[in-house]
Amino acid sequence: MGADLDWSSFRSIATNLLDGNPIAILVTVLFALGCPLLLHYLLYRKAAAPTSGSFLLLGPSGAGKTALFTLLESKSSRLEKSTKPTHISQTSSSTTINLSPTIPIASNRYRSINDPSLSEASKIPVTYHLRDTPGHGKLRELQGISQLRAMLHPKKSKSGMRGVIFVVDAASLSEQNEALRDAASYLHDVLLILQKRALNNGKPSSKIAAEVAVLVAANKQDLFTALPPGSVRDKLELEIDRIRKSRGKGLMDSSVNPGGSDEEDILGGDDGHGMFSFKSLAGEVGVQVDVIGGAVKSDKEADVGAGVRRWEEWLGMCL
Amino acid sequence: MLDAFEILTTSGVVLWSKCDASVGSHIVNDLINDIFIEEKARPQSSSVEIGAPVYKKEKYSLKWKRVKDFGLIFVAVYQSLLHLSWVDKLLDDIAAIFVDLYKDQLRSSRCRIVEYPFDKYFDKKIQELEDADGVIHNEGYDAIANGKKDFFVSSDNGGPPPPSVPSVPKEAQHQAAHTTVISDESTPSQSPNISRSSTPVLNPILTGKGGPGGRVSRRARKAAHANANLSSGEEGVRKAKASKAGGKRMRKWDADGLMDEDNGEILDYSAVAGSEDASAPTIEPVSQDSWGVKTAKGQFILKDLGDETHSISEKAKANASAGVVESSFNAISGLLRNIVGGKVLTDTDLESPLKAMEEHLLKKNVAREAAVRLCEGVRQELTGQKTGNFQSVDSVLRAAMESSLQKILTPTSSLDLLHEIQAITSPATKQQAPRPYVISIVGVNGVGKSTNLSKICFFLLQNNYRVLIAACDTFRSGAVEQLRVHARNLRELSARENVGDVELYEKGYGKDAANVARDAVNYAATNKFDVVLIDTAGRRHNDQRLMSSLEKFAKFANPDKIFMVGEALVGTDSVMQARNFNQAFGPGRNLDGFIISKCDTVGDMVGTLVSMVHATSIPIVFLGVGQHYGDLRGLSVPWAVGLLMK
Ligand SMILES: Nc1nc2c(ncn2[C@@H]2O[C@H](COP(=O)(O)OP(=O)(O)OP(=O)(O)O)[C@@H](O)[C@H]2O)c(=O)[nH]1
Ligand SMILES: [Mg+2]
Repeated sequence: MGADLDWSSFRSIATNLLDGNPIAILVTVLFALGCPLLLHYLLYRKAAAPTSGSFLLLGPSGAGKTALFTLLESKSSRLEKSTKPTHISQTSSSTTINLSPTIPIASNRYRSINDPSLSEASKIPVTYHLRDTPGHGKLRELQGISQLRAMLHPKKSKSGMRGVIFVVDAASLSEQNEALRDAASYLHDVLLILQKRALNNGKPSSKIAAEVAVLVAANKQDLFTALPPGSVRDKLELEIDRIRKSRGKGLMDSSVNPGGSDEEDILGGDDGHGMFSFKSLAGEVGVQVDVIGGAVKSDKEADVGAGVRRWEEWLGMCL
Repeated sequence: MLDAFEILTTSGVVLWSKCDASVGSHIVNDLINDIFIEEKARPQSSSVEIGAPVYKKEKYSLKWKRVKDFGLIFVAVYQSLLHLSWVDKLLDDIAAIFVDLYKDQLRSSRCRIVEYPFDKYFDKKIQELEDADGVIHNEGYDAIANGKKDFFVSSDNGGPPPPSVPSVPKEAQHQAAHTTVISDESTPSQSPNISRSSTPVLNPILTGKGGPGGRVSRRARKAAHANANLSSGEEGVRKAKASKAGGKRMRKWDADGLMDEDNGEILDYSAVAGSEDASAPTIEPVSQDSWGVKTAKGQFILKDLGDETHSISEKAKANASAGVVESSFNAISGLLRNIVGGKVLTDTDLESPLKAMEEHLLKKNVAREAAVRLCEGVRQELTGQKTGNFQSVDSVLRAAMESSLQKILTPTSSLDLLHEIQAITSPATKQQAPRPYVISIVGVNGVGKSTNLSKICFFLLQNNYRVLIAACDTFRSGAVEQLRVHARNLRELSARENVGDVELYEKGYGKDAANVARDAVNYAATNKFDVVLIDTAGRRHNDQRLMSSLEKFAKFANPDKIFMVGEALVGTDSVMQARNFNQAFGPGRNLDGFIISKCDTVGDMVGTLVSMVHATSIPIVFLGVGQHYGDLRGLSVPWAVGLLMK
């Protein structure tokens, strides 16, 4: 019956198709079944592993950014636990990391513990982008700061920028020295960029601005000489206060033309009066800064309190 | 031997390493910092040396090789006392092998976390090179050494050497040896015989002549390797290694023996050789046999390994030569790609744009030396790189040049002068006694030392410091008077604004500047000044006598900061000025920064900034931009880069 089909004219094709012949039925069935499948693959393939945000690792050289980066990466892949040694970075690198399912994330915050969909939701791994940058003084502006600017740019960044992890070496801050000044001035610059963005968004506590939070990760807590996170916070606040005062008094840049005196940006909402503190920054500008201790080196599954667990929890709360 | 070998990515992760614990990680960090980031000691572009460049740190020498496609750096660390001639080859070979073996892993996103089981390849390569090294040294002439090495390689692939099989090529080679080394060999037919009669016979001769020292060290080395493997490995691999060493040595001595024999005949030690002939074979063959039997299986594995590493090395070589042939085919599509992008850049693509870029920099008053070096750096960075979509070669080059200018001009740590003064004059801790902060200013004649000194003084007065100006130009007439005028003006200004206080310390002319400077510092300390600004006599940087007095000056005045003033107008001379002044203060003391004066007069030709930093890696701290006391600026790197690239 199929042999004497006439495919020569449109009319006969239409007739054939509307006939009850098997080929037409087959085509129709394939089409009816295939379409949804195709659509599903087209639309949902990407959505299967949603990346919910990106984070940027900043901080002075030798703070442990790359060490943290590789640790999180290898934890997320569960390949093996041996972390590789690191040296000074020259280029930045980025990766996608699965947040460990035991870590609560902010979007589940309002669900009841007994909510059956909670355990359902925690089965799907939450992923985020993480970007490591070099902390060397010469490369900071070129890669760290410009990366931060690019990621903050709403059009350029595909997945929303959720936070900055500013890693400091808590052991090197213990003496009043160059390391503290270096770390604080870097942090000052980063916060200034975030503040500018927050203020440009109009209302100081507008929705987009509040999203980018800052974690000051006081690393190397395993070392005997490391400062506890509390005093890291105090030292940084003191030093940033001093820096913003001396920036105000310092020489102008060569780029500033003497005629147009655009007012110097000062970190903190209070125009440099009174002491600087992260708390007032959060209150007045809307840039949230948390200082949390941890150690890349002593990260073991056994003790939940130490290692990088608390930083991961912070990451979870930002997602 | 090698103290460490590391394979790391530019993002700072060590993918694989073989390390002696005594080599601190700071050694490699310093290499990265000094060579790759700060580019303190860039190898001269003119001398294209054959081997990899060397970096010396403490008692170590470091050699490295970069593989740009994968962002990998291969670093070999060894003690400077050793002269390891094969490190260059090791780096090349290891790079080729590693990249070839793991290119899939390296391309994947998980390249930083996967394991690279590279130890056995590395050990094999080291062993091979060390052995080959022995050949080279014993022979003493390279051409034949190379030939022999190649031969050795092929026989290595061909399995355990039965005496008869390699004899034909060996004879041919032997002929080659004869043609090169004209030795009065009385019995030419004898040597093939000896070599054919196989290694066991020759071994004792070799060991006897080569001296027991060499032999022991080889044994020790082998033992060391075995030990190293104990930790990493399964029994099989270790055994294989040991047997490999044995087998290899056997073959190697073959080659050695050939050579040694020649020497022996030249030196006429034949009697000794003969006597050893008789006694030795009974001992040696046994041991070698036993190695062979014990580890027949292991040897097999090893051979595979050897095959693999060699084929990779050869493939790499073949690729290199094939690239030249293919380049003509690529030329046409290259034209298109130049517009559309996605083109892999070669030296020839870059040549003319780089030339143009160099011209451009020269026009901006960058010293030739600096311009050449910058272009060379960019060339090295870009060759082999793929351009992005719709990106022309020029725009890629521009971007690369911009970032390398930015890198060279950005100081490693920015100077916060006010903070430093604060830390010295009112220290936080009780142990440190407060003292005045001393800044001295040097430079050639007429660049504006005194003017810039008064500008700094004005800036400090604005910040409410008590400043003492020391007139240590006891040489040029009128210098003290000039400073006196400045001091008077500044005092008036500060009095009007009611900030700070300034005083001039002068001792007239003809006195020794170093003594005056020291007295000024002491005077400041007793009179509670915050800052001492020392003006010095201008001197030509090539005037030996005057330059040498700077060392004494630095010792006596002991300034916290020594700034050199340079003119923005000066051209090529800036490099030598900066270098000579930087070295004038004796060992252990350098300049702390440059002040570039008269920047307002040069428009966008600010190349001097780059030339000076290039010559010394010392940052620019201030720019003088006018005639007024307030015309002092900090350097804004994006501003300078913008002007230079305009
Ligand atoms: N004791 C201890 N050492 C750590 C810890 N975290 C990192 N380190 C060490 O600190 C050194 C520097 O770490 P990196 O991760 O390379 O530093 P970085 O921040 O990436 O530095 P740059 O790449 O130069 O910006 C490495 O030798 C790490 O092993 C820690 O928690 N404890
Ligand atoms: Mg790093």
